[in-house]
Amino acid sequence: MTGGSRPGWFCAAALALALIFLVGPFFVVFIAGFSGEETLVFPPRSLSWRWMAHIFTVESFAASLRTSLVVAVVSTVAALLLGVPAAYVLVRRNFAGKELVRTLLTLPIIVPGIIVGLALLNYMVLVYDMPVTASLLVGHTAMLLPYTVRVVSGSLNNLRLDIEDAAVTLGATRLRAFWLVVVPNIRGGLISAAVLAFITSFNQVPVSLFLTGPGISTLPIEMLAYMETNYDPSIAALSTLMVLFTIIVVAGMERFFGFTRHV
Amino acid sequence: MPVWLLMPSLAFVAAFFVAPVAALLLGAFRLDGVWGFGHFSAFFAEPLNREVYWRTVRLAGLATLAAACIGYPAALAIVRLPARWRGLVTALVILPLMVSPIARTYAWIVLLGRNGLVNSLLVSSGSVQEPVPLLYTEAAVWLGLLQLMLPLMLVSLVSALENLPADVEHAARSLGATPLQAFFKVTLPLTQEGLVLGGTLVFTGCVTAYITPALLGGAKVLMLETLLYQKVNSGGDLPAASVIAVLLLLTTVAVNQLLRRASAARRTRLAPSGAVPKAAT
Repeated sequence: MTGGSRPGWFCAAALALALIFLVGPFFVVFIAGFSGEETLVFPPRSLSWRWMAHIFTVESFAASLRTSLVVAVVSTVAALLLGVPAAYVLVRRNFAGKELVRTLLTLPIIVPGIIVGLALLNYMVLVYDMPVTASLLVGHTAMLLPYTVRVVSGSLNNLRLDIEDAAVTLGATRLRAFWLVVVPNIRGGLISAAVLAFITSFNQVPVSLFLTGPGISTLPIEMLAYMETNYDPSIAALSTLMVLFTIIVVAGMERFFGFTRHV
Repeated sequence: MPVWLLMPSLAFVAAFFVAPVAALLLGAFRLDGVWGFGHFSAFFAEPLNREVYWRTVRLAGLATLAAACIGYPAALAIVRLPARWRGLVTALVILPLMVSPIARTYAWIVLLGRNGLVNSLLVSSGSVQEPVPLLYTEAAVWLGLLQLMLPLMLVSLVSALENLPADVEHAARSLGATPLQAFFKVTLPLTQEGLVLGGTLVFTGCVTAYITPALLGGAKVLMLETLLYQKVNSGGDLPAASVIAVLLLLTTVAVNQLLRRASAARRTRLAPSGAVPKAAT
């Protein structure tokens, strides 16, 4: 193409800038995580494992990590149990008010999490004495529901109706046909939905802000609290581990289930 | 497959999401048992609150603009990449979306802090005697927001450019358009929906961001969400918090509608001029 080189260079430069912007911060955090300094200095004058070791000795990190894992697993399972049947009906059936139902189920993604957290604190915990732990689980589940509905709907849309009907014609009950025919065929979508939901819950901050406290706290909230009083590279070390963990999970998912196709 | 299978999810959303959120939002319109806008006038009477509202809209707007300016050419470069490189670049764009925003934002604390990279460069080059405050400035929050939201713009634009018929730009060029004309008259209008979608996602994400202003802005550069947190946690000012909740929601919904309208209006204006694929080919 004549004259195409100038815009070509301009676009390549913009892409390079974007990539530095997206990936650069990770390298900065990695290097800071292996700093040997007493406080956060960049670039560090020495490298060491001391802060990597230190984060495992901080009691509040260990406790909140356990909470985060439990909350992520429970709310992911709950969002799947609620979302899969909903997605199934939304894809397979036509009924009055279908669009309204779809809007209602995707609403939690539009409403900022901090509002959900505050609303649950004020109108469930304080008014109806709902335990804080339960409200944390409920808040996370509500925020995950739109993701599970969307991802599973996408998989169901790609599944041919007649193979399920064939199973029913051959004598399977609807439920049995669902387990034996539908579930294996949307396996990639189900697993992708679960992983996406787990990661979203694990990283969630705004919903948890008002639903955590001295007794119960999630890891991201504990990290924010730690940063307020400490100025050492612990958070960089912890962030490094979180980034590596995410890369491994997402890369593995992509390899085996085509994660990015589903989400 | 009976429709009642919807009941559990609908009941859950109604009871634990719609009801409490609606109660919180409605609370903003009720003062001493009377419906009205009393809480809103009280909220906007305080200069600090007005300042925070405009700062939130301004920073979100500037971050959206910057994301579009970097994102559009970058997305063009991505769709022109050979397939081998494209997968890798796409992964690098999507991966940050899965990583904890705290981990992604922390790099700016490392770079912009008192003993961070920028300050050590400034001091060692002799441009300044003492480290200058870079953190807890609007610029720091803006950078953090831009970095956090850029992938959303890129993903929207790449998918819009993928759906663009491959030969329209070529057709425009062969009919005598310069590369810039072809871009502004054909490519840009045809991918406008991607730009609008990306813009909406970025703007909404910025307005409702908590971690970025909390870490990079602190108490000095408050945005709506950090102000909301402060109102509740130091003072228990629930009316002000519900007003902020309404503002957050209204702002995001309004921008959504505005951008959608603008894009529809432009489309109808452009349609007769022939800049649509059917007429171009």
